[in-house]
Amino acid sequence: MRLVTRRLGLYAVTAWVAVTVNFLLPRLMPGNPIQTLIGKLTGQVTPGEIRAIRLSFGLGFHQGLIAQYFTYLTQLLHGNLGVSITLGATVSSILRQSVPWTVGLIGVSTIVSFAVGTFAGTWLGWTRGSRLDSLIPTATFFQAVPYFFLATVMLLIFGSDLHWFPVLGAYSQNVTPGWNWTFVSNVIRYGELPVISIVLSSVAGWMLGMRNMMITMVGEDFVLMAVAKGLPRRRVIMHAARNAILPSIANLSLAIGLVVSGALLVELVFNYPGVGDLLLQAVLNEDYPLIQGIFLVITLTVLAANLIADVAYFALDPRTRTEVAT
Amino acid sequence: MKTLRVPRSPKVVTGLAIVGFFIVLTVVGPWIAPDNPSSTAYPALLGPSAHHWLGTTSLGQDIFSQLLVGARATMVVAFVAGLVATLLSMTVGIAAGYLGGLPDEGLSMLSNVFLAIPGLPLLIVIDAYLPVNSRSNAFVIGLIISLTGWAWGARVLRAQTMSLRNRDFVEAARIIGEKRYRIMFSEIAPNLLPVLASSFLFTILYSVGAYVTLAYIGLTSTSVWNWGTMLYWAQSNNAPLSNEWYWFVPPGICIALVGTGLALVNFGIDEFINPRLRASGLSSKQRKERGLARRTRLGLTPVSVTRAPTPRSLQPNPGVAE
Amino acid sequence: MSYEGVRVDDASAQVSDVTANVTANVAVNATAGVEPASEFSKRLAVLDVTDFSVDYGVGDATVRAVNEVSFSLERSRVLGVAGESGSGKSTLVYALTRLLRAPGVISGGEAVLHVSREDGRVEALNMTTASEAALRSVRWSHVSIVLQSALNALNPVLRVRHEFDEVLKTHRREMSRAQRRARSAQLMALVGLNEDRLARYPHELSGGQRQRVMIALALALEPELVIMDEPTTALDVVTQREIINELNSLRSQFGFAMIFITHDLSLLVELADEIVVMYAGRIVERATAADLYATPMHPYTLGLLNSFPPLSGERRELTGIPGSPPDLSDLPSGCTFHPRCPYAMARCERETPELVVDERRGRSVACWLHVDHDSPPTPVELSGRRLRATVPVGAREEAQ
Repeated sequence: MRLVTRRLGLYAVTAWVAVTVNFLLPRLMPGNPIQTLIGKLTGQVTPGEIRAIRLSFGLGFHQGLIAQYFTYLTQLLHGNLGVSITLGATVSSILRQSVPWTVGLIGVSTIVSFAVGTFAGTWLGWTRGSRLDSLIPTATFFQAVPYFFLATVMLLIFGSDLHWFPVLGAYSQNVTPGWNWTFVSNVIRYGELPVISIVLSSVAGWMLGMRNMMITMVGEDFVLMAVAKGLPRRRVIMHAARNAILPSIANLSLAIGLVVSGALLVELVFNYPGVGDLLLQAVLNEDYPLIQGIFLVITLTVLAANLIADVAYFALDPRTRTEVAT
Repeated sequence: MKTLRVPRSPKVVTGLAIVGFFIVLTVVGPWIAPDNPSSTAYPALLGPSAHHWLGTTSLGQDIFSQLLVGARATMVVAFVAGLVATLLSMTVGIAAGYLGGLPDEGLSMLSNVFLAIPGLPLLIVIDAYLPVNSRSNAFVIGLIISLTGWAWGARVLRAQTMSLRNRDFVEAARIIGEKRYRIMFSEIAPNLLPVLASSFLFTILYSVGAYVTLAYIGLTSTSVWNWGTMLYWAQSNNAPLSNEWYWFVPPGICIALVGTGLALVNFGIDEFINPRLRASGLSSKQRKERGLARRTRLGLTPVSVTRAPTPRSLQPNPGVAE
Repeated sequence: MSYEGVRVDDASAQVSDVTANVTANVAVNATAGVEPASEFSKRLAVLDVTDFSVDYGVGDATVRAVNEVSFSLERSRVLGVAGESGSGKSTLVYALTRLLRAPGVISGGEAVLHVSREDGRVEALNMTTASEAALRSVRWSHVSIVLQSALNALNPVLRVRHEFDEVLKTHRREMSRAQRRARSAQLMALVGLNEDRLARYPHELSGGQRQRVMIALALALEPELVIMDEPTTALDVVTQREIINELNSLRSQFGFAMIFITHDLSLLVELADEIVVMYAGRIVERATAADLYATPMHPYTLGLLNSFPPLSGERRELTGIPGSPPDLSDLPSGCTFHPRCPYAMARCERETPELVVDERRGRSVACWLHVDHDSPPTPVELSGRRLRATVPVGAREEAQ
């Protein structure tokens, strides 16, 4: 129980840090970007919208920094992330449309990548020394290619040239969004290539990590005992893998951050309507309220994913339930 | 202290060769570039030829020159970021691991927070607020990247320090009354050298990726040539979809090669740190001679088919009566 | 160089009393070559090991960890294997069961396991040529093993129940879930553990409890042979005592044969029927436990006896053995023990003594002190009279 409490505490602090960074950044940066922004906007949007933007930065009234901070927090709790300058809508309503796409794409990719990488790593670790080891440099290469570059190449070869996959966007222009099979299957079809790209970029990390842990575990006595017990090979491997997977899960927090970072750019390459594409547009247009809103949402989502990983770890390692967590 | 001997596996040798090549390129790249990378003197979109090994951009710039010049900015930023991040993670990690207690709680919390916040979005947010002239400054960018990349190393170093802090030599230093910072940085740190090296390479790897990504989305100055800005221009001129592969593939391959090289070197360090990852000690040639399988399966100790020659250590000495 | 073949000596003499404690049940003869063993003695043996050698690595850097070791173990008997770390005692048994990890290579000899099938037939399985499937079929159901650290030997993320279940599921397919549960509880009771411990994870048990779980697990399929690799070394003396007592009672109950490895010779004296002492990969002395304790013949055995307090019986002064075990890649010439031996003679540096059998006394030793011709009289401590505690100063001069 203690571990879960500690982790919850950590995530609460992390969320608070993210929120505070968000608040402080525009104020610490040289050149007072908020004032510049508001000056630029005057005349373009309604006074009410300017007030909402000012509020979302915590700037509503003539106040000191601390008071501004609390105004900012209050607004945040009410879901006011400000108004997008370029899109003319509230940041929260924009995010409500794009976040599901990103969560779906990255969620599916991460699950597939984790599963494939873990299986491959298990086998590579078990058969270490065999010819399969020659896969490792190739895997390393794929790990080192930037996500967006691999996605571009994939798009080019399998989308534009070979036409194996539909590309650009999350679904065809010809289908109407809705909860029906036509639409859902179309979404799956359009999602295939982006998912494959993200999996190819991220699978090597899981695979190599799992391989190293498997090799370490196979050196443990309990795996030798599994052999001594005359268990079938599959069960012996399971004994090792069951323990080797724990560090992988413990490292999910680092990995999810990296995968999300990479996957946001894959969205850009494929024109996928998620927050990645949105973030890039916002950056190019200096749409600060939108940038900040996206950053917050991404951070909170990653924290939620971390929490799920922690629960999984907690469930898989009985030692965390009785020992003092470190 | 053990001597630092990185195993000479083919993987490590290849990795060192690749990394060495790009380090040389970092130094000499801008000098050997045939053209000014920004000069628009040539016809647009020439394919690769003897004059322009990698063709030209839509503005008529020589792509090969851009690639050579771009190596320096990319590598320097990555190196600065790697160095700063390693120093940060060393300080935080060793201090947390050695001091324990409240300082450990605080420092661990700090690194865990930085681990949990996704790096690239944070980078983008910080960078978006940077004035344009800072974006072209390699050190500013390197510093910011290091800020998002130090936490992992700190966590690993903390764990390693904790395993060292009760060793005899640390205990001895404590008893003779050495100052704490001296124990941490001249007694403990040298023993963490392999871990530090691994963490340094890892952060460089991360920094190359982060920097190139920032450049690719146009968040660094687009007038500084690096592999990311090359990709940025290629993308914004629709090079990928127009099949101008010579424009966008070379920088991507270079990035991947640098990363592969660093990762391969890291394999060697991993094997140094974790002996179980090393090869089993039976070379494939010797295995073949003795009729043994290519790899040893657990629970099936090999039995050599040909009678083993008496090991050198057991060869009979002259005086033995038969 | 030739080493003696081993054969079972006059098996009929022992049939009546297989669990008798200190009868010499293995004899050796000095001639090389193997005498054809009778059908009867074959059935009685559970493990025959002949000229067994194990190397680490192949090629120039090879180190021989076990050098032409031969022994035979009969049913329901306990063979103790003693020696310091690096003597090859663990390497030997792991290699016998083909469980030795890389870079271990079996480089000579053979080990034959006599497996009793359910229909009463006895099958001889040559472990050095057996297929993986054949090995799997004898593992645990016929040979089980208990390791030094039960904490490492039990999978940390599985409940104790799972370990029992898995073994029974694999080897006793006909058992139902309820039967497996009942059998697990019964086994736990056998080693004095409450069945509620089945629901625990290894880290929730004490060291002694974990080792008991391992022993219960090792007996789950009632194997003919149980190998114990320093099972009590990691435990405190009281727990060690309890476990040794339990092992003795379990053995009289089930009659399994046992190979018990330890560096603590005084422990073996209480437990084993016969003891082999290993040094630098060779057997240097073999005798019944009682003989070995009363009249050690090899100086190394004497040193080992003086290194540990006996679990019971009279106290003796602990002197230990000077020096440290040799580097296997750079063994001393002649008798590998000579640099540490208080009785070493000029000859010991030059010539390697072979394991020579004293047929009359049913024991063997590899030491120049006991080769009757042209060697000086055996020092009094090693001559078969009641042992004295200390090695006399000047024994070396006396010996020369």
